[in-house]
Amino acid sequence: MSDFLRKEYSAEYFGPRIRVAVIIFIAGAAIFLARLWQLQLIEGESYIEMAKNNRVRMVRLPASRGRILDCNGRTLAEDNPSFTFSIVPGEIENPRDMLEPCSAILGIPQEKMRGLIERSKTVPRFMNYPIKKNMTLEEVSLMKSRFMSSKGVLLEVKPLRLYPGGETLCHVIGTMGEVSAQELPRAAKLGYRTGDLLGKSGIEKEYETYLRGEEGWEEVEIDAKGRQLGHRSRKAPRAGADIELTIDYDLQKYSEEIFIHRAGSIVAVDPDSGRILAMVSKPGYDLNLFSPSITDRQWKRLRNDPLHPLENRSVRGLYSPASAFKIITATAALHEKLIRPDQKFNCAGKLELAGQAFRCWNHNGHGPIAFRRAIVESCDIYFYELGRLLGADKIAHYAALFGLGKPTGLGLPHELPGLIPSPAWKGRTYGDSWKDGETLNFAIGQGYLVATPIQLAMMTAAVANRGKLFKPSIVRRIRSRDEGIVFDHEPVVRWTIPVDSNALDMVRSAMTAVVSTSRGTGRRALIPGIKIAAKTGTSQVIRDKQLMIESEQIPYHERTHAIFVAYVDDKPKKIALVVMVEHGGAGGISAAPIARKIIARYYSMPDRGESQE
Amino acid sequence: MDFIPLKSNLPHSGKFEWPIIMISMILSGIGLCLVYSATVPFGEAGRLYVMRQITWCSLGLVLAPVLLIFDYELLDHWALRLYIIIIVALILVWATGRVTYGSKRWMQMGLMRFQPSEFAKLAVIIILAKYLQTTPGNASTQLMDVLRPLALAILPAFLVLLQPDLGTACVITLISFSMIVFAGVGKRLLLWTGIGLLALIPIAMFLSDHLLMSYQRRRLFSFLNPSYDPLGSGYHLLQSQIAIGSGGLLGKGFLQGTQNQLMFLPVKHTDFIFAILAEEWGFVGCAVVLFLFLGLFLRGMTIAGKARDNFGTLLAFGCTVSFFWHVTINVAMVMGLLPVVGVPLSFLSYGGSALLASFLAVSILANVAMRRSAY
Repeated sequence: MSDFLRKEYSAEYFGPRIRVAVIIFIAGAAIFLARLWQLQLIEGESYIEMAKNNRVRMVRLPASRGRILDCNGRTLAEDNPSFTFSIVPGEIENPRDMLEPCSAILGIPQEKMRGLIERSKTVPRFMNYPIKKNMTLEEVSLMKSRFMSSKGVLLEVKPLRLYPGGETLCHVIGTMGEVSAQELPRAAKLGYRTGDLLGKSGIEKEYETYLRGEEGWEEVEIDAKGRQLGHRSRKAPRAGADIELTIDYDLQKYSEEIFIHRAGSIVAVDPDSGRILAMVSKPGYDLNLFSPSITDRQWKRLRNDPLHPLENRSVRGLYSPASAFKIITATAALHEKLIRPDQKFNCAGKLELAGQAFRCWNHNGHGPIAFRRAIVESCDIYFYELGRLLGADKIAHYAALFGLGKPTGLGLPHELPGLIPSPAWKGRTYGDSWKDGETLNFAIGQGYLVATPIQLAMMTAAVANRGKLFKPSIVRRIRSRDEGIVFDHEPVVRWTIPVDSNALDMVRSAMTAVVSTSRGTGRRALIPGIKIAAKTGTSQVIRDKQLMIESEQIPYHERTHAIFVAYVDDKPKKIALVVMVEHGGAGGISAAPIARKIIARYYSMPDRGESQE
Repeated sequence: MDFIPLKSNLPHSGKFEWPIIMISMILSGIGLCLVYSATVPFGEAGRLYVMRQITWCSLGLVLAPVLLIFDYELLDHWALRLYIIIIVALILVWATGRVTYGSKRWMQMGLMRFQPSEFAKLAVIIILAKYLQTTPGNASTQLMDVLRPLALAILPAFLVLLQPDLGTACVITLISFSMIVFAGVGKRLLLWTGIGLLALIPIAMFLSDHLLMSYQRRRLFSFLNPSYDPLGSGYHLLQSQIAIGSGGLLGKGFLQGTQNQLMFLPVKHTDFIFAILAEEWGFVGCAVVLFLFLGLFLRGMTIAGKARDNFGTLLAFGCTVSFFWHVTINVAMVMGLLPVVGVPLSFLSYGGSALLASFLAVSILANVAMRRSAY
């Protein structure tokens, strides 16, 4: 509540105090004016001199960016010094004298040189205007000796990012680029300035703060000619930390080499830890194109390429898992005790439901078929029956238990979650009711269901380690030069899949037979001496079309995707992998051999080719 | 008790409070020119700063007159609520800032000034004005009567200090101290409190000398003063003096300051903006600005003297003295008379929330001025 004292009383009380305050204010102003008088008028001359000869400059010392290494310390990305020749337009004495020697040494036509000097006048007079970037060492030494004593020119050393692997692991490593106008407001608060580079994709982006380090300062004393005399004080830049990936470069390179198809993905993971051994996405691109910066033409070519080389299919490719999904359907049915392993269903090549025909890939039918053979020969009718028994909601439930429908949390940018359909979902999204036939398609991994290769790899890994769904990781360690190991990966289990271990074992046993028996769809992956468990998948691209013509006659974009998931778990080092060949045809034909080669390579065994046809 | 005493009062005193408003407009206009000049060397990024400053300025210029519709007695009702909101905001900012700093160890806090701290000053002024309005006439000699209002101020000041923002914390403390002294405190009590506080300083220094290692002390100090004197060699100070001194009588002219354009002063568009003023507009420019500020102070005190009630007097005084401390500390720092602390120069420094808070203070002053003879 305001206290209503009489105005006169307040004036009496406050009056003197106000006077005191006023005196203090005026005194303060007087002191400042006196000091200013001293600095500006009495000592002004000497300061003007000092400003003119201001010999001390604060120079930013960029920090060297951390490297990106594979699990064995092999360099995948690192900085190399790159030289830029710049002029300071406000300080240059005789621009015309420079034309000829610059042009001769740097190989710039004189006209262009003249144009550059003209344009340099548009920037603030005391800023560096670059004339030529990425000079060769020869150019550097020639320029240095010629212009050593000239004012207004300087040689700047900037780091250039190099990628020894070229295209290898390009999507995971990622690219760098200049800070964009949109990023600048937030980035400026973190110390970035216009023209600075930062990671734009992949690990370069995700771990930018670690890789970047911290820039330093230096007080540099320069003479009247602009030469550096020495430095007064210095805050050393702190180098960025090195990121060690879980990737094995040899395995990665090999996998990329043997993937001869146009597009697709391979993800290989260690099922006991979730660490990614290899991650291939084809087509790719040469990372060195982006360093120092990509030309407009090349960028347009990459962007407009219909196969989308810039996309990391391993985390962003959405595919129907097709028969690979049968692993989940089978586990679900057994765990729910809806069938017995010896229970037979009859596969006659097709099944009628609500007036529609649902076919098996084997048009003649498998005949009476039970659990093991249904997996080994990938009978669709058997799994339609499982689907009817389970119902769409249960299938969706188990799909989620195996990690589908949500991002794996790998830590690469823009991972997609895929989609697990369900009656509720369909109602929400399309306002339409779920049809029974869609449950059948769901059970064999088709329909609305889509997953990314990394999700399928983690699913396979969970089967390999008998039920633990790991969080995948691609970074093994982060090591700083000053502080040692800053991050060390510990495997993280997202959850243990709550299914009966007997059920899982039966599925696992059947998956082994997929490769080892003569009628198994995965027989082309057989390597004598290694026990491989696998499941093939052939993912329909055009719905409801059962094509009977030869696969070569089908147009590329209508061909099915070839999928192969596999694992080896009876050796000290284990592996789980998924091979996805876009529009590759049949999983057992196109994808299986690739998996075989990779597994053979991983265990250092010779690949004797396909022993069975 | 009506919540919003929108008394049917357009001010009864009849006269619109032009002086304060004009001074603040002129000063912010000068500020825009200076910020522009200071950020030109930044290239593309520089324009962002000016645009932002213009935006905040416009917002302030619109908000200030609009708030005049409400009687300032509204602040009396809302004092506690505003205070609590600010405390909560400060805690939130400290908590989230902590988490990011902890998990991403190397992410710089940068030059962020979290907004609540600027408005904390106003909240402290308002609540102290409310608390102290009954003291005139009850000349107190109780220590508690000093400590209680001081505690009200110390809490937000401490939270601000944690951010870290040494400068604003100091200003909040100084403002509260000034207000307590102004409102009335027995002379002896004042003396003892003053001695007590001064005694704390050597104790703190002694403790830090002996309990912390030298590198920890350095880290603590640079933690509190993140961007200044990064090389610890007095470089910043020297460059600032060169900038001021070389301005001479008339300055080097708009955009012609070599210290400015050559980037010898790394962080000049915020706290060292006065150096830009001195270099480019000389002694004359500085004197003009100082006189404008002096005009602001004197007018503020006049308003305080003619307020209709104690609450108004204290509000007016608080706002005036807030400007006073900002200007004094900032200019003294730039001229090398005080060590470097991060205190912006009202209306001139780049900084949206400080600018907005300044306009709000101006609005309060105008409010008190225009309602002085409501009774």
